[in-house]
Amino acid sequence: MRITLTVNEAKRDVEIEPGGTLLELLRREGYKGVKKGCGSGDCGACAVLLDGRAVNSCLVLAAKADGRKVVTVEGLADDEGLHPVQQAFLEEGAIQCGYCTPGMVIAAVDLLTHNSSPSEAQIREGISGNLCRCTGYVKQIEAIKTAAKRMGEGADD
Amino acid sequence: MALTHLKEYLRPTSLEEALTSLREGGKDARVIGGGIELVLFSPPDVTTLIDLSELSLSYIKENEAGLAIGATTTLTQIIGHQTVAQYLDGVIVGMLHQVASPLLRNLATIGGSLASANPWSDVIPLFLALDAKVTLFDGKYHSIPLSDLYPTRSHLSGSILTEVLLPVPASGTAASFHQFSRTGFDVALLNCACLVKVDAGRCTVVRIVAGGTPRLGAALPAAEEALMGMELTDETIEQVAHVARESADTRDDRRASARYRKQLTYVCVKRCLQEIRDRLAEGKK
Amino acid sequence: MIDAQKKGFVVVGKSERKVDGIALVTGKPKFVADLDLPETLHVKILGSPHAHARIIEIDTSKAEALPGVTCVLTHKNTPPARYTTAGQGYPEPSPYDTRMFDTKVRFVGDRVAAVAAETEALALKALKLVKVRYEELPPVLSIDEALVNGAPVIHDESDATGIYDASRNTAADIDITAGDLTQGFAESDVVVETTCETQYVQHTPIEPHVTLSYLDEDGRLILRTSTQVPFHVRRIVSQVLGLPLHRIRVIKPRIGGGFGTKQEVLLEDLAGLITLRTGRPALIELSRKEEFIASRTRHPMRIRVKLGAKRDGTLSAIEMEALSNTGAYGTHGLTVLSNVGSKTLPIYNKAQNVHFFGKAVYTSLPVAGAYRGYGATQGYFPLEVAMDELAERLKLDPIELRRRNHIRSGESSPIFEKLGEGREGVAQTIKSCELGRCIEIGAKRIGWSKKRGKRTRAGTWVHGVGMSIHMQGSGIALVDMGAATIKMNEDGSFNLLVGATDLGTGSDTILGQIAAEVLGVPLSKMIVTSSDTDFTPFDTGAYASSTTYVSGMAVQRAANKVREQIVKVAARLLEEDEDSLALAEERVKASNGQSVTLAKVCQHAMYQVAQFQIGATASFVPQESPPPFMASFAEVAVDTETGFVKVVSYVAAVDCGVAINPKMAQGQVEGSIVNGIGYALTEEMLISSKGRVRNPSLFDYKILGARDIPPIEVILVESYEPTGPMGAKSVGEVAINAPVPTIANAIHDAVGVRLTKTPFTPERVFEAIRAARM
Repeated sequence: MRITLTVNEAKRDVEIEPGGTLLELLRREGYKGVKKGCGSGDCGACAVLLDGRAVNSCLVLAAKADGRKVVTVEGLADDEGLHPVQQAFLEEGAIQCGYCTPGMVIAAVDLLTHNSSPSEAQIREGISGNLCRCTGYVKQIEAIKTAAKRMGEGADD
Repeated sequence: MALTHLKEYLRPTSLEEALTSLREGGKDARVIGGGIELVLFSPPDVTTLIDLSELSLSYIKENEAGLAIGATTTLTQIIGHQTVAQYLDGVIVGMLHQVASPLLRNLATIGGSLASANPWSDVIPLFLALDAKVTLFDGKYHSIPLSDLYPTRSHLSGSILTEVLLPVPASGTAASFHQFSRTGFDVALLNCACLVKVDAGRCTVVRIVAGGTPRLGAALPAAEEALMGMELTDETIEQVAHVARESADTRDDRRASARYRKQLTYVCVKRCLQEIRDRLAEGKK
Repeated sequence: MIDAQKKGFVVVGKSERKVDGIALVTGKPKFVADLDLPETLHVKILGSPHAHARIIEIDTSKAEALPGVTCVLTHKNTPPARYTTAGQGYPEPSPYDTRMFDTKVRFVGDRVAAVAAETEALALKALKLVKVRYEELPPVLSIDEALVNGAPVIHDESDATGIYDASRNTAADIDITAGDLTQGFAESDVVVETTCETQYVQHTPIEPHVTLSYLDEDGRLILRTSTQVPFHVRRIVSQVLGLPLHRIRVIKPRIGGGFGTKQEVLLEDLAGLITLRTGRPALIELSRKEEFIASRTRHPMRIRVKLGAKRDGTLSAIEMEALSNTGAYGTHGLTVLSNVGSKTLPIYNKAQNVHFFGKAVYTSLPVAGAYRGYGATQGYFPLEVAMDELAERLKLDPIELRRRNHIRSGESSPIFEKLGEGREGVAQTIKSCELGRCIEIGAKRIGWSKKRGKRTRAGTWVHGVGMSIHMQGSGIALVDMGAATIKMNEDGSFNLLVGATDLGTGSDTILGQIAAEVLGVPLSKMIVTSSDTDFTPFDTGAYASSTTYVSGMAVQRAANKVREQIVKVAARLLEEDEDSLALAEERVKASNGQSVTLAKVCQHAMYQVAQFQIGATASFVPQESPPPFMASFAEVAVDTETGFVKVVSYVAAVDCGVAINPKMAQGQVEGSIVNGIGYALTEEMLISSKGRVRNPSLFDYKILGARDIPPIEVILVESYEPTGPMGAKSVGEVAINAPVPTIANAIHDAVGVRLTKTPFTPERVFEAIRAARM
């Protein structure tokens, strides 16, 4: 079947199997930043924004994304540079192997878009669906705090 | 690929259309909200999926009957809703914050959560304790108590769950939910939801539901009886929790033993009732 | 963080951003499976349903006939020679007990057949069409079952080599003694003994094992693979497939974590053979379920420790007996067993009489291999619990007991020489050790004296604090070798080529920092390329905490050679003495103020006079393995009604010499601690009575998430290791050894129960509390 969806603001008209997942579709279409870690919604490495909300793309049927907006990690930076969350991850040493990073960043963007000054508990909950085996989450939580502060300051401008 | 035998993915724009497709598809057709269960378990015989998200069933409305939540409302949407946050001291929102992860809650619908009846479900025990009703559409709308759906869910064959209704809480009512799990992103080893109404110091409505036993949430009638007509004191709470432990039908599984689940039942019921007592005391002030 | 004098470092000692950071945070296609090649075949493996069986008959005709299937492999059409999958230096200290496809299966998930097809779905369909007839054999499901007289023999093949005693299912056996143990215990005033058992756990890197193989335009086999050991992969694949080594190139791009499970040749032989047979690229990715069942695990062990001490706490004898379950194959069996003793016992060098012995035993269970900590993690559990018990018996503060016994700078231990990694060790004297300060700082930060023994209650929760001390190593003395090549470019930048493997640890970055420091340039002028067997010089790989120390020294040496060449050219240009020249700020500066840019120096050497490529290769073999040290402290709260253990706070004081990149060093410690807490509290692979893994998914095998971590404070207590690059030691493993004993000791402080089996699940803790009350 054919579906049309928007990925990182680009309209994509694609042929899919009805039973295929959004993760498979995105990687097939070249969005390699979306990672497969488990295929069962347990690790969050495949997280993308679907109509502004972070979801496990391995559990979303591609057909469900018909007519909807998807943002992957590749769509977060703009002409002015990295998204504040990406910038903070880079600066705080929150990236080790980087495999969980795209999904983690997407989850953090969802969190901060809907809660501009989250408490530490809310940050932990916000990324609770993103597993990381390298960092122990310590610097990732710090990075999200930094990003929140910066995004808050930016909003005042 | 998740569903290798899937031939048709339908997005009907009316409930009647959805029902017709469901009936025509027979045993190989399924309705989905978020579709999580379908993708996870990939039943090989499913050839037709009917996505309910275009049916305007994402809503939360307060009316004289209570709080009505449309079946395709996501768990995240429910958490974020002001009226839900105020319902019985925020017990629903408190429970939902412990369910799965934000990523899954952004996709999971309340209809799907109720229909899939996962034995570790946190939503079902609380909604049972709150005496929820569900609306099913089979050409006509029918309202049945949520408890009638389980365990067989036979009401769901050939009909579509469209709404869940939480009644207006009577005054003097408080509810509570607790669960124990191994990590913060895990299903419950044991969970418990309680609702108590107190009139002139005595319990006149008591619901005690335990889930993840490892079976789906079900009432503990012996414990409920033990609390009926009693005052909510430390002693009665201790006694009732003890009855709950003795009467709970727990089993061994990979995650915990039957014996340990009994202990968790005791602690869960105790903490739920303590919280209810504290909430009612707060309410009086 | 305590900042020792950094001797005026400019790049080293700074928390520079990772050189691959931007690419990773923007999702650039840098991982193995991110490369799409036309005509790629998808490969799926058929795993055994039985824990122990002979393959009587295998019929692949229906699978081969399925349209879209291009290749089916079984024992009938693959090389029969035995090898080890262990990514270790040659000759590997692991038995050659593995065949690509064998006529016998030894664990549930063991290779039976493999199918290559146009799509993954077709490959999976074809697997179902492979017909196998098995003769089931009795499984061996525990160490005790394996050692019993008349136990089924897992490795009864005639052509395996390097097995200690196959008839007794013993892959490896060790027995070393220092001093006189009988005497030592006779002299003791107090003797304590404890036996601890650890469980099956898995590394769960978020990226599963994955390999993409293809032929380049010259028909050479290219293996693009998620590995910690590219050079060992090249050698072992050459050996297994009978393909000349120079016809193979191994490339490790970015990989999604390893922790030891990728110190193994798990898929490359298979992908490679399919590419050779079909001429097409072949992609094998393990599913998460296959990761649990058929990759590698930590060795479950049962270890008994007996300590004898004088009344004043001085240890006089240590006996450590280790039984290790190495699973169905002996990869890393001997060396992990050795490390149980070699990385633990030297820390208490005051004990003159030491006996370490044990066996690594085959079972028909998931295969154990290398896992961060590598035996030390298991060994510290009974050792540090026994020390806690000893302190209690002697009525000494556990901290004081450690102080009276731990090794110090200038000291040695007979264990260093007697126990290496599968062979004799190498004597060494400690040249840097701030363990004393680590203990002092950590104790203060956790509030030790305020909290120890107080059992503060908050509702049903009781609090306690526990501690433990640790060391590891930095590489394998006289065995590991790392090399680096540096070449200069005419804009004053350099290419740094290292065999060293960055698993996400950031080694590309810190190696770049070391080179940049020597050559007086910012990190941005050091272009690091790693882990390509065609272009980068040899390195044993990322294991044994070798990268900072071993690969780092190679980089420092190469950089110094290049510096000398630059200085020679600059001396001519500036007409100054070489001795008066220094490299800084991208220039060569003379003491009289004159200077010339590096760019100019290189242009001169490349184009103008007596032209030559400024560049050098250097190697390093460590003569010793300087241990990083750690003092670990935790406060826990135990819910006496449910047994739940909450880590309230965790303090780790670590001496890794000079921290080349402090944030990254901290990151290694933080990640290790969180992994170790999972090992202590939540992680367990459950095995059925038929040898099957019952919970092969992240849904049911619980690793810590962001909601579960305690506040963790990591304090880097710097020392200066004279034999290390810029004074550094390694830090990749030491911290993972701490959480189990620290938490065990903290639980005892809180509720008075000694837990000797991991994980300390709520149910186990609750039952222990209940039993103690009766």
